Amino acid sequence: MTSLPAWLKSGRVLIGLTIITIVAVCAIFAPYLAPHDPSEQDLLAMLLPPAWAQGGDAAYPLGTDSLGRCVLSRLIFGARVALTVAFLASMGAMILGAVLAHVAGYFGGWIDWFIGRIVDVWMSFPPVILSLILMVGLGTGLRNVILAIILVDWTRFCRVLRSEVLVVTRRDYVAAARLLGFSHWRTITREIAPATLPLLITLMSLEMGVAVIVEAILSFVGLSVGAQTPAWGQMIADARQNIYQAPWNLICPILAIFFTVFGFNVLGDGLRRTLDTRLSETERA
Amino acid sequence: MSLLTARNLSVGASTRSGDFPVISDLNFSLAPGKILGLVGESGAGKSMIGRTIAQFLPTGFSVTGGTLEFDGDNLVTMDSHKRRNLLGRDIVFIPQEPLSALNPVLTVGQQMREHLLRIGHTDQAPWRERALAAFESVHLPHGAGLLDKYPHQLSGGMCQRVLIAMAFASRPRLVIADEPTTALDVTIQARIVKLIAEMQKRDGTSVIFITHDLKLAAQICDEILVLYAGRPAERGPARALFSQPAHPYTRCLQLANPSMSGERRGLFTLPERMPGLRAIKDLTGCRFASRCPAVIPACREAEPPFLEIGPDHVAACIRPEIAATIMPPPPLPMPETASGEPLLSVDKVTKSFVTSWSLLRKTTEFRAVNEVSFALGENEFVGIVGESGSGKSTLARLVVGLDQPSGGRVVMAGRDVTANRRDDKAFRREHVQMVFQDPQSALNPRRRVASIVTQAIEAAGKRGDNTARLDRARQLLAEIGLPPEAALRFPSQLSGGQKQRVNIARALCAVPRILVADEIVSGLDVSVQAQLLDLLLRLRQERGFAMLFISHDLSVVRYLCDRVLVMYRGEVVESGRTEEVFSAPRHAYTRTLLSSVPPDDAQLDWSPDTVGDVAAGVR
Repeated sequence: MTSLPAWLKSGRVLIGLTIITIVAVCAIFAPYLAPHDPSEQDLLAMLLPPAWAQGGDAAYPLGTDSLGRCVLSRLIFGARVALTVAFLASMGAMILGAVLAHVAGYFGGWIDWFIGRIVDVWMSFPPVILSLILMVGLGTGLRNVILAIILVDWTRFCRVLRSEVLVVTRRDYVAAARLLGFSHWRTITREIAPATLPLLITLMSLEMGVAVIVEAILSFVGLSVGAQTPAWGQMIADARQNIYQAPWNLICPILAIFFTVFGFNVLGDGLRRTLDTRLSETERA
Repeated sequence: MSLLTARNLSVGASTRSGDFPVISDLNFSLAPGKILGLVGESGAGKSMIGRTIAQFLPTGFSVTGGTLEFDGDNLVTMDSHKRRNLLGRDIVFIPQEPLSALNPVLTVGQQMREHLLRIGHTDQAPWRERALAAFESVHLPHGAGLLDKYPHQLSGGMCQRVLIAMAFASRPRLVIADEPTTALDVTIQARIVKLIAEMQKRDGTSVIFITHDLKLAAQICDEILVLYAGRPAERGPARALFSQPAHPYTRCLQLANPSMSGERRGLFTLPERMPGLRAIKDLTGCRFASRCPAVIPACREAEPPFLEIGPDHVAACIRPEIAATIMPPPPLPMPETASGEPLLSVDKVTKSFVTSWSLLRKTTEFRAVNEVSFALGENEFVGIVGESGSGKSTLARLVVGLDQPSGGRVVMAGRDVTANRRDDKAFRREHVQMVFQDPQSALNPRRRVASIVTQAIEAAGKRGDNTARLDRARQLLAEIGLPPEAALRFPSQLSGGQKQRVNIARALCAVPRILVADEIVSGLDVSVQAQLLDLLLRLRQERGFAMLFISHDLSVVRYLCDRVLVMYRGEVVESGRTEEVFSAPRHAYTRTLLSSVPPDDAQLDWSPDTVGDVAAGVR
């Protein structure tokens, strides 16, 4: 039996993975787990408190919102939007940013300069405003949310990875590969990319957390998925009206976001500690 | 009365995988005003002694027996407050890496001031005078300007001078210099060593000089202690020990170093490596037995006692007379090089870098390589020597095509490849390969050895056939003297010498006719260096290739190369047959270089040329 890879032994990675697995299970099996249809309105049971509180109803474990919809069901279905956006948007941002970073860092010269200036200009826009403008232009919908996040956040990958690519490119083994006749493509994919992969994975797991937050912000202002699809940001926006009568309506989605983002961040930190070769043994211990 | 005395000192380490000894049976006494040299290969435990004195041992390491007395007080049991008062004032250290020992964000003056305050210089005003006086004493010019310089604005040699000035500022009684010149150029090395000796004489300080270079130690030390695998092999007066070594290891170390004078003699190549710390525990008998050329069964029975050889001269060998009988093998022959059409000819090649760029003003250029011309014949080994910054490495990069020359021509096997077009590159690839300096950076840590050495096959696009690749890898490993099971290891699982062999194997896989080797033996132990040098000579006989061998070590070039080019500030100042250049140097710089190497005979006086000392020190 082969022993577990080092990164799986890290407590942080395990905690992160557990949290994300729980959220992912909720998202995938939402129709089976949720007690109600998330859009089903029960106007006779509006703003019910959680089941354990006084006046609660066991049929609605976390109570209902102002339209009498089951909060728990909406939370569970909301995980679908959150995770879809987290995975696809960070994947897209990673691909776009990583490709440009490798091109810039490897070839250097005016290409590096050009990509570097694009990143500079891009990053000078406030990210939330940029994504709001994009959403207004693109229109609402899951695909457009993902696209907006990719277009805002690829710069983060590009900036950080480029410096790593620069360091690796200067290693002698890259020069040796070129001397032996490796093409640029093969040098990048076989010699440089494997060395930047740990950083890439780490950045991606952190980016997933960011994507969850950005999606929540967009759906809070009503510029994400349509009103018919439950999303955590929307729930917060809805709950705002009745913040004094039904605070749990606000607290539940906030906790869900916190829980998920925390999971991604802990996972990212754990991966950084175990995969990053630059960290010394002592810090890893 | 001795200043520092070690009596049966032993240091051990306890780890999860068990306890093991790091240093055992260490005995020496250092008299005031004397220099003790600690000599040994890496891993012998040299630096551990310095760390024991400072009680700055790595986690899990501790003194397990014996005493270490400084001026009558046992340093091992001394309370930390008292020790702290001694360290930095009475006992000071000169580190190996001058640049990393200085704080990069503080000026040299600020650091000197802090140090002066710490050693009890309290009145604020005259610290500048005192700092300048200290700098004056280590021959650092430039007066007050120097105090406001940051470490990165100074050369490595100047930083080391600053550290020496700091070390001696408190008029210490004991200075521990841990390989203080390893990171520096040969010419600078000679000056730094002489400076330490001069300061030591001025103050009557005792010095522990830790080095891997036996020849250097023989020149400047009064007494030498040779360590092998954590246990002293031999200890004695420097000249007696060097001229009549009584331990086979000392003799082998001596013979592993190429000579600088007389006939070219063979190198004694010690097999394998020194046993690692974990292995020592399980050894019975002499620790050197597994590599000793004169081993007899009795050697493996008990740990050899320290036998008295002469006055103050002891050796841990049961047959101390045997060492003198160990003779170097005959030198590997230097094949005749064919005269005729040169394989590589470099014609007035120049490489300039733009140092400051401006739209308005004229750009300033720095010529790293300035109109260098030379030719390399079939099967010929040519050495390039010079200090760092002389353009050696840039020239190598121009030859292999990693950089493009700003002027001049590179002709390879009759074809002008200067333009480096696509077909030029392919042509060049078949003819020249490079072996890089730092095996750490030259081997992809994520590839296995088999995959590294056969990268040339991968580059040619013949991928699928993995068994053929593995076979070729095994064949190459056999050629460079690595066991076949190394094929599936990662570089991190290899020793420094093994990594450098893999580095060579990768270049040889493409079957080049020219090999460019950039400082490939620097930073390796002498015994490993000897193995690699003989490997290169053997490979030349077997396969036949020409080599451009870049090195700062003149004795290595003398052993290996037919011809030599001496480079100074981007220009070739002298070239010719190695023997002629080294025995009758014509250019003043060549003479300076040659005089910086300690002579083979410890009886001879060593007077390194220190003309033009730090003139070029400030960048």
